[in-house]
Amino acid sequence: MNTGYLIQKVLRALVTLALVVTFIFIVLRVTGDPVSAMLPDDTDPAIIEQMREDWGLNQPLWKQYVDYWAGIARGDLGTSFLDGRPATAKILERIPKTLQLTITSFAFMLLVGAPAGIIAALSRNRWPDRTIMTISVSGFSLPNFFLGILLILVFSVWLRLLPSASSGDLKSMIMPVFTLGTAGAGVIARFVRSSLLEVLGKQYVRAAIARGMPLHQVVLRVALPNAAIPTITIVGFMIGTLIAGSIVTETIFSWPGVGRLLITSVTARDLAVVQAGVMMIAATMIVANLLVDLAYFVIDPRIRFGSSGERQ
Amino acid sequence: MPLSVSGLGVTIEQEGGHLPILQDIDLDVAAGRIVGLVGESGSGKSVFCLASMGLLPERWRTDGTVAINGKTVTGRARRTIEEARGREAAMIFQDAGASLNPIATIGGQLVDTIRRLRDVRTGEATEIAMELLEHVGIPEPQRRFREYPFQLSGGQNQRVLIALALAGRPRLLFADEPTTALDVTVQAQILDLIGRLRDETDMGVVFVSHDLGVIANICDEIAVMYAGRIVEYGPTEAILRSAVHPYTQGLIKSMPTKRGGRLHSIGGRVPLPAERPAGCAFAPRCPRRLDKCSEDLPALLRDDAGPTLRACHNPAEPVPAAVAEPVAAREAVPRAGDALMQLTGASCDYRIGAHGSFLSGHTLFRAVDQIDLDLGEGEAVALIGESGSGKSTVAKLALGVEAPSDGTVLFDGEPVPPVGSAAHRAFARSVQLVPQSPFLATDPRMRIGDQIREPLDIHGEGRAGERRDRVRALLDTVGLPDELARRFPHEVSGGQLQRVVIARALALEPRLLICDEPTSALDVSVQGQIIELLKTLRGQRGLSLLFITHDLRIIRSLCDRVAVMHAGQIVEYADTDDVFERPHHAYTRDLLAAVPDLATRAAPAARSAELAS
Repeated sequence: MNTGYLIQKVLRALVTLALVVTFIFIVLRVTGDPVSAMLPDDTDPAIIEQMREDWGLNQPLWKQYVDYWAGIARGDLGTSFLDGRPATAKILERIPKTLQLTITSFAFMLLVGAPAGIIAALSRNRWPDRTIMTISVSGFSLPNFFLGILLILVFSVWLRLLPSASSGDLKSMIMPVFTLGTAGAGVIARFVRSSLLEVLGKQYVRAAIARGMPLHQVVLRVALPNAAIPTITIVGFMIGTLIAGSIVTETIFSWPGVGRLLITSVTARDLAVVQAGVMMIAATMIVANLLVDLAYFVIDPRIRFGSSGERQ
Repeated sequence: MPLSVSGLGVTIEQEGGHLPILQDIDLDVAAGRIVGLVGESGSGKSVFCLASMGLLPERWRTDGTVAINGKTVTGRARRTIEEARGREAAMIFQDAGASLNPIATIGGQLVDTIRRLRDVRTGEATEIAMELLEHVGIPEPQRRFREYPFQLSGGQNQRVLIALALAGRPRLLFADEPTTALDVTVQAQILDLIGRLRDETDMGVVFVSHDLGVIANICDEIAVMYAGRIVEYGPTEAILRSAVHPYTQGLIKSMPTKRGGRLHSIGGRVPLPAERPAGCAFAPRCPRRLDKCSEDLPALLRDDAGPTLRACHNPAEPVPAAVAEPVAAREAVPRAGDALMQLTGASCDYRIGAHGSFLSGHTLFRAVDQIDLDLGEGEAVALIGESGSGKSTVAKLALGVEAPSDGTVLFDGEPVPPVGSAAHRAFARSVQLVPQSPFLATDPRMRIGDQIREPLDIHGEGRAGERRDRVRALLDTVGLPDELARRFPHEVSGGQLQRVVIARALALEPRLLICDEPTSALDVSVQGQIIELLKTLRGQRGLSLLFITHDLRIIRSLCDRVAVMHAGQIVEYADTDDVFERPHHAYTRDLLAAVPDLATRAAPAARSAELAS
């Protein structure tokens, strides 16, 4: 068993996380003094000095960096400038809502995209294929903000069928999920189609057919698992676009999640909350990519056992 | 009758008409018989197998009838052939590794197939799978059962593929170049296995190969195919002894023999389906062409004198194989004083370890173990051995691609500089490589002339006009016309492209050419031309040559000495004639015996049993 692969991937994720945390620290320091940027120009210098001291900004840079890490270790990412509550608490209370939206969209993306791609591949160059591919191109060509506004216009303003803002019930989830998941479903449909077509042209598929395996079994048991390996990579990327897309989608549909909190915090220059939010998004991305690497490990024996050195 | 084919034709439907791929094939395969299909690439051998199994792409249309075990499978509902696959007829392919599902275990694939084809439960299927693995000669079947295809060698994967083919107890087996990707010794074992299974199960076998030596070793009957038709057919002995079709004779004359012989090749190439001439498709290449050959298609008729069928208007006198040509006198080259390339106690270690992870560490694998090898100015040396024996690593050491972990590698008295160093640039002018596949060694999007000129550009040789002249001279040297310079690699044949690669290697006038299997990617009919070219170049330019090869003709007609490698060591290094006539090392004897040859048509059972152990 190739445990080296696992250890390496986990270590790489940790190193990436440390680099991101450091990068956030640097960016927030080089973009100028946060205190003077936040307060009006005619503020009393004493107040500015006081705030600097409260936030530790008068310390040498290395000391600030060490304190910053110590804070992260304690789970303390500073307090919100708006209401004085801990930034982490403000983020954490919004996470369930965001997860509700992104996980549902992710499921929508896979459950619509993958079967569409399979149908397209199996009916290559015939009408189902052409129809699915046309829809998929339109799907990922429409930007989130446009699709979201279009849906509100049609279903809320004209037809008055769906609520335009979050109301907590399932009905209010339909449009946000569709907005967030459509692009991903389109990309996954295209990707599943092309990798399945590639696998179907492989010698081992022809050999399985020559052994009398019925076509549906060849597709389900031989071709799909093999086509899943490259598809997982793209699914990992799609998790990233889901998180980025959730910021826009939550704003459009007034969805009370992390994305909307981030937007309001940026507008209010609430740096501690922005910092915590960016860190959380980075951590999610890193974890998602780590999960992709682990999925390879489970699916592909060549990675699980290491494809070099064991041949005999 | 396991297979009965009559009037089989395959055409591709396309705009502007039908493209004929196979035409008018009649062939029967009786139980317990192995029928060989032989011919150059493009002759339709594989298409025949795929058509019989109903595996052709949808656009391809099949005419005529194919009956498997008496049941007609063509022109009926798809169900008929789908039910026959696996149970009545099975098929094995060239690259066994690529024919197995890479992410399923050996055992899983077997159990799955057995359950479906024999209608048994998993427990019973597992037992049958173990028996089959044992039956096809897989050592440690319990362990292999849980392993994946990438963990097995090419020969073992081919055995697994054969076990899978046997799962449904078929009466007919299509074997499409099953040994082409394997080492000669492994090839001998697989041929043995197929022969043994035929004896035990009495199944009929269609055996496809471009290698007449392999066909002659295993087949009872031979069908020679050319441009989609059978041109000569008969019992193996009769074909080898008294073939009368000029194409068959050409193929036989192109075959290497262990006694050496003048090199023969068939000029020209197999016409593409779209450019097949009216009349006999072989006519443009035929030395015995008559006027009516290019108008009138010859029918496949019984030969008056013998048991063979042939399609030819002007059949030749039979020329028995193997004794046809006298032994060629290899011009002896006196051993020069100093060695040009000298390896002394040279070793090369590779790190192996899981993904080169910095935590899991690594172990060292010694690919080349303390070898001594010297090659004099103007000398030609062959390096032979199975894959994994370290031949290619020796070539890498000689080219500076790998640095020796131990010992020295000297060229002209100086250590070979590592690739990337300033000194390597100068060294590369003197030592050049001719790789195995010209298709992989050329840039598909660059004109041939530009590719030959590239070394001159890199080393800043002469002015633009002079370089153009040099390219023209180089093309002339390798026997290619000027106008080829403007073409792209896909517009020329494999043999021509290998000449281009040789011309490019010669551009900087090197002193040593390292040739890695320079003929193995080419059709039998053109291999001889490349060997003759290298022979001429050697004579004209005093070029030194290091060959990595199994081609007996290269060894016999070109090489002064032969080094035999086994497990990283040189086990024998002697003059060519000595190695062939009086091999000292047991491994050398096995290796030479395993090369299929028209003269050794005998069951090689004892030999391969010994090798397998």
